[in-house]
Order: sequence, then structure tokens, then C-alpha cells
Amino acid sequence: MLQYIAKRLAGLVPTLIIVAIMVFMFLHLLPGDPARLAAGMDATPETVELVRKDLGLDRPLHEQFARYVTGVLRGDFGRSLRTKRPVSQEIGERFAPTFWLTVASMTWSVVFGLIIGMLSAVWRNRWPDRLGMTLAVSGISFPAFALGMVLMQIFSVQLGWLPTVGADSARHYVLPSITLGAAVAAIMARFTRSSFVDILGDDYIRTARAKGLSERIVVMKHGLRNALIPVVTMMGLQFGFLLGGSIVVEVVFNWPGLGRLLVDAVDMRDYPVIQALVLLFSLEFILINLIVDVLYGLINPVIRYR
Amino acid sequence: MKPLSRPVFAGVLALCAFAAGPAFAAKDVVFAVASTFTTTDPYDANDTLSQAMAKSFYEGLFGFDKDMKMVPVLAESYSASPDGLVYTIKLKRGIKFHDGTDFKADAVKANLDRVTNPENKLKRYGLYNNNIAKTEVVDDYTARITLKTAFSPFINQLAHPSTVMISPTALQKYGNKDIAFHPVGTGPFKFVEWKQTDYLKVAKNENYWRKGYPKVDTITWKPVVDNNSRAALMQTGEAHFTFPLPYELAEVLKGKPDLEVVAAPSIVLRYLSMNTQQKPFDNPKVRQAIAYAINKDALAKVAFNGYAEAAQGVVPQGVEYSIKIGAWPNDLAKAKQLMSEAGYPNGFETELWSAYNHSTAQKVTQFLQQQLQQIGIRTKITLLEAGQRVEKVESWPDPKTAPVRLYYVGWSTSTGEADWAIRPLLGGESWPPKLFNTAYYKSDKVDADIRNAQLTTSSGEKAKLYEDAQKTIWQDAPWAPLVVEKLLSAHNKKLSGVYVIPDASFNFTEVDLK
Repeated sequence: MLQYIAKRLAGLVPTLIIVAIMVFMFLHLLPGDPARLAAGMDATPETVELVRKDLGLDRPLHEQFARYVTGVLRGDFGRSLRTKRPVSQEIGERFAPTFWLTVASMTWSVVFGLIIGMLSAVWRNRWPDRLGMTLAVSGISFPAFALGMVLMQIFSVQLGWLPTVGADSARHYVLPSITLGAAVAAIMARFTRSSFVDILGDDYIRTARAKGLSERIVVMKHGLRNALIPVVTMMGLQFGFLLGGSIVVEVVFNWPGLGRLLVDAVDMRDYPVIQALVLLFSLEFILINLIVDVLYGLINPVIRYR
Repeated sequence: MKPLSRPVFAGVLALCAFAAGPAFAAKDVVFAVASTFTTTDPYDANDTLSQAMAKSFYEGLFGFDKDMKMVPVLAESYSASPDGLVYTIKLKRGIKFHDGTDFKADAVKANLDRVTNPENKLKRYGLYNNNIAKTEVVDDYTARITLKTAFSPFINQLAHPSTVMISPTALQKYGNKDIAFHPVGTGPFKFVEWKQTDYLKVAKNENYWRKGYPKVDTITWKPVVDNNSRAALMQTGEAHFTFPLPYELAEVLKGKPDLEVVAAPSIVLRYLSMNTQQKPFDNPKVRQAIAYAINKDALAKVAFNGYAEAAQGVVPQGVEYSIKIGAWPNDLAKAKQLMSEAGYPNGFETELWSAYNHSTAQKVTQFLQQQLQQIGIRTKITLLEAGQRVEKVESWPDPKTAPVRLYYVGWSTSTGEADWAIRPLLGGESWPPKLFNTAYYKSDKVDADIRNAQLTTSSGEKAKLYEDAQKTIWQDAPWAPLVVEKLLSAHNKKLSGVYVIPDASFNFTEVDLK
């Protein structure tokens, strides 16, 4: 097992190098001159040249790339073109709010999604199923920005129970995590349901029932464990997406997270920030996939790693 | 639970009253603004918002009041030599920077030397290096600035929100780049902290040189990107002032008893530029026909919800030396006649680009498309994203092949003076990639007017030259002038003394909270 993890971690390195090269290439293909954008509307050509020099964009591309790679190897991701602060600092400040928001939304949405999915599967095509799936479809179809605004209007403006924007206290997490988690909960519910429905028809479930086990033990012990495998995969994927920072939710709730940083960075062609963010997102996905694979083994001991 | 004994109860009451007493209530004001600040260093900023915020702790030699009239701030007075080359500026006495340094002529020299030095790579370098040759200290309270060539709007440039006085001691201590994280000025507020993701906070400068100011204890500048969220913040009372306010939300907030919505006049001009170097726009008749075909009043109603007015000239009212010509009439018959005379009775096909991709620009371009269809001009709309705009319009290297045709864009004259309203947009030497003459317009008459106006120091002479330039441009119609926007802001009724000034910056020296 440990050997397996070590092998996977070693495999990380080439993947990240390839990602770094691709991102660097694609970014410089984007239209728009970052020096011109940074210099602004009123700038004269000499100013734009000065800004270009200041940002190090006047050197040939391969030189810029070499500088970038050597910097990254030393743990230096450069400075943001927009704010001139170190990229690691820019990202560092925003990582925690996005991470905790992701954890908060994932927690409630997974619990909720699993319960609804299970109930729907057990009472398939009866009213709990209909109700659950109606909720799920609404959750997927209702756009996050609209949900966020409606929630804010009701709970902050009208009732005054919760703060509107910011990320300073636990109460600040309530509305954004509901908004962010709604779609995930819906996806989880549908996934759990379909996976459960498949398994409840399998032979070993029939055997378990024939043995005279109570329905609860059949569902919770024999059903849930096996149904969880695809659900965990989905959970990992969703977690990865949310960690990238939801642009919509972060904008609506003025969340100081990575999603807003990415939008700002793309707007201003802030190359160093975009590069570091994409690398970070790739790393997150790879790590999450690894964790998911390890979880498989814990859920179903039949799965072995070599 | 046991009821509180009477004396204790009275004591608690008294304590509450004490805590809530008006004399002890801190006046903390929150401004909700639309985007994050790029820097606190006005010499290295290109956005109006960062410069407006920096006015909390920085002041210039000159400045603009709430109606955009130029007023001396740290300067006492100035005089210009007859040839317009040497400006001598007398400074106010007894002013101290936040770090205790006395404000003297060496500060003027330190700041102007800093921005004109290319080594420092500041974004405002071009604006200053174009004209300042050298800055000298005559005595403690007199500074002398020598220009490379006569430039009559020079004092307006000193009033621009980027020309501020930073403490020379702090500049030395923190260096050229780090000063942005430790701003030290003479302004009414001292810098407290800047949490980039969340807010920037400033607190009252107890030793401010204007007695009795500032009237509040702190200001928190809070960037909130989403329009609806900013409106929500105003409704819950978490913010006292917000700008900009989108047109759709003005109606919502107007109904709230404790909020006030203000539509202030602006110098933000929206126009449709036409590439005069390319067929069919090389023909003045076609350009005039387009100007005649557009109903500007309807445009203001449809796209700006009525918060705009038809442009009354080439330079918006409120900019010094602008003249009022009157809105370009909307006359379809005349437009069609001009198109026939120009040889396009059945119109033509062309591109219509917008410099912005927000929803207002979308409405504007769709409206223009429909209006131009009436005279047979069929347009293909493209809303350019910032990067595309830079590549396809602003930095296109060769004027001959420039792909821009009809281009919807806007301009706000940050110096408040006609030179910066005409020269960068219509001067013969301002074609992209140099500046923003997207009409590729060149008129020897206008160019001569601009040059002569820079050279003269007589204000009457200047008025005459700029009037001639504006009239000539109006006739040549390199643009169809569209509308001048109004600036919508909202504030809590408890707050007073905060104004959005016509160039979309703020004036908050009088800010007070009831």
C-alpha cells in the first residue's frame, strides 16, 4: 500500500512538468498584451515599454520560460503582474477560505445527497423517491448565482439573520456553502440512487434477504458499502472542482477565494498567477484521485494495490 | 432567575447609556466599491478607483473640488514664466506628513524626480516625462519646475489625482516599490492596513492641517465585485456609500427609506468612432449620415435607463474649454439623402465593435445596429474582451491595415482640461498604437490648434483655439457623438459629504456620519 502511494506520488512530477509547459505555451498564445493592459488607458508607448521591462516581458520567450522553471524549482512563482506581490502570497491568502468553504459545502451536501439517494432507491418510484428526485433536479437546474442572490435577499436583507458578504466568521459560511453545495448534493443524490438501485437487484442482496436479515442490515451493510464505490469517485471529482474556487459563488458573496483571483488574473493577463493557479489545481486533482483510490481499498477490501 | 436589585439595574442602565452616548461613538464609515485596488501608489496606478482611494492619505499640490474646478491644495499659489516654460510654485507652511516630516519643497522634487526617472518604471512615467525637464528647490517653501516645451495645461496635470506628495523620508525608507504597502502622505487619514482580499482601512489623522477635519474616525474601503451584493450591503446598513450603482438597481434602492440615490453629472463621453482611413468611412457624408441616423435620446432611454444625456459637443460640458454645440439632430431623411449623395443609396455591410463586453455595451450596440439598418448599413457586432481590444485596436501596429471600422467606446478626461480630451483621441499623432485616435482622424487645422493651445499661456487665446478645434471636428464627424453618462451612486441618509465627481473619482474631504 505505502509502496503504491509512493509510486503514485513519483508519477506526479512528470505530469506537473507537462502541465507547466502546456500552460506556459497556451498563455502566451492568448490575445492581448499584458504590458499594455497593465499600463492602462492613458499610457503612452514609452510607458508601455517601461512596464514591459518592469514585468520582464521584453525577454525572448524561451528565456522567460527558463526563468519561470528555475524559479518554480526553487519554490518561487514570481510576482503578480497586477499587484506586484509574490504569487505564493496571493494564492496563500486565498487558499484557506476556498478550502474551508469547499469542506463545509461538501460535508453537508454529501450527507444530504447520500440520505436522499438511499431513501429514493429503497422506496423506488414511490413518494420519497419522487420528492427526493424533484429536489435533486431542482438543485442541478437552479443556477448558483440566482440561488445565492435569493438566499442573500431573504436571510440577510429581509430577515437580517446572516451577514451578506465576507468570510470572517462561521456565520459567514452558511449561505455560500448552501449555494455551493446545492448542485453537489443533487448530483450525489442521483448518483447514490442509481448505484443503489443497481445493487439492490444483485444476487448477493437476494441471498442476504433470503438468509432472513433485516432490511436495515441488508441496505446499510451489504448495499451501502458496494454502492459507495462510484459515489466516492464522484465525490472526489466534485471536491476537486470546488477546490478550484467557484467563480460565481465567490463573486456573489465576495468570498476572498481562488475563483475570484483567477478571474482577476485572466482579465489582466496576469501570467504568473494563472500559471501557479493551474499548477495548483492540477496538483489538487492528482492528490484527490490518489486519495479516492486509497479509499476504494478501505471500502472494499477485495480491491488490492500493487 | 432572580430579578436584579434596583441599584445594580440602574448601574447597568447608566453603563449602557454611557456606552451608547454620541460623544463616544466612533464614526466608522464603510465605502463599498466595485473592484479591488491595484496599488496605493498613485504614480503606479492606472485605474480611477485606486487613485480615488489613495486620496484618503495623499494630497497633491493642486486638486479638484466636487464640481471639478481646480483648486490649490498643498500649494499656496503659482506663477508661470511668459514663455510658459518655468512654473514657480509657492507651498503652504506648517504641514506635516504622517511620519512627522515637514512638507517642504524637497518633497516636490523627490516625488517628481521619482516619477520622471525611467529606472523606477512607474506606470505614470509617460505623463510626466513628456514635459518635465527638471524640478528644483528654490527655498524651503518654493519649488521651480522647468518644462521641456511649453505645455499650458501643466497645472491641471499637477491637479490630476496621480500627482500626490509622498513623504520623502518614507520613500527613502521603504524604497520605490515597497512604498505602495506603506503609504505616508499629508492627507486627512492615515493608512492602517490593507487586506488585499477584503478591505483597506484608514484612520483619522489627528494632526491634519485643515482644522476641524476629518469629521469621521475611520473609513473602510471594501471592494465588492457583484452589483447585487453591493446593493444588499447598502440595504443591510453594512456599507454607507456605494459606487457605481447599476441602472437596474437604482429603482430598487430608491424605494428604501434610509437610502438616497444620486445621479451626478459626468465627463464620461460615449461615442462611435469611424475609421476615416478606410472606405466607405473616408467619405464625410457617410460619417455625417451615421450621426444623423442615430436617435441619441432614445439610446439614453433604452441602454442607460435614462441616466445619460445626448452629447452636446465633442468635449463634454464640465471639461475646461469645452463648448456646447447642441446634440447632433436625428434626421433620417437627411441621413438617407447623404448616403445617396455619397454613392451608397442601398447602404453597405460593415463591422461594429464595442470596447466593452458588459450588458450596457450590449444594449448600446444592438440599438446602434437597429438604427443604422434604417439607412441600409448592415453591421456585425463584436463585443471585445479587454485582451482582444488591446490586440485588435489599441496596439494594432499598422494604421493602413487596422481592422477597426465602427467602434463604440468612451473617454473620461482625467485632467479636466480640453487638451487631454482632444489630443489623445483626435490628434494626428495619436493613431494607435501610440494613443487612442481610433478614427484615424487627421486634420491639419485641429493639430495646429492643439499645438498652439499648448504653447500659449493666455486663457482667452486657448479658449478660441479649442473652440475652433471642436467646431472643425464636429463638422468632419470622425465620430458620431452619442451620450454623456450620469454617475449613479447611493448613500445612507446618515452619511453626508461624499460626492462622485465628474471624472468618476470621489471627493470625501467633508465626509460625516450622523
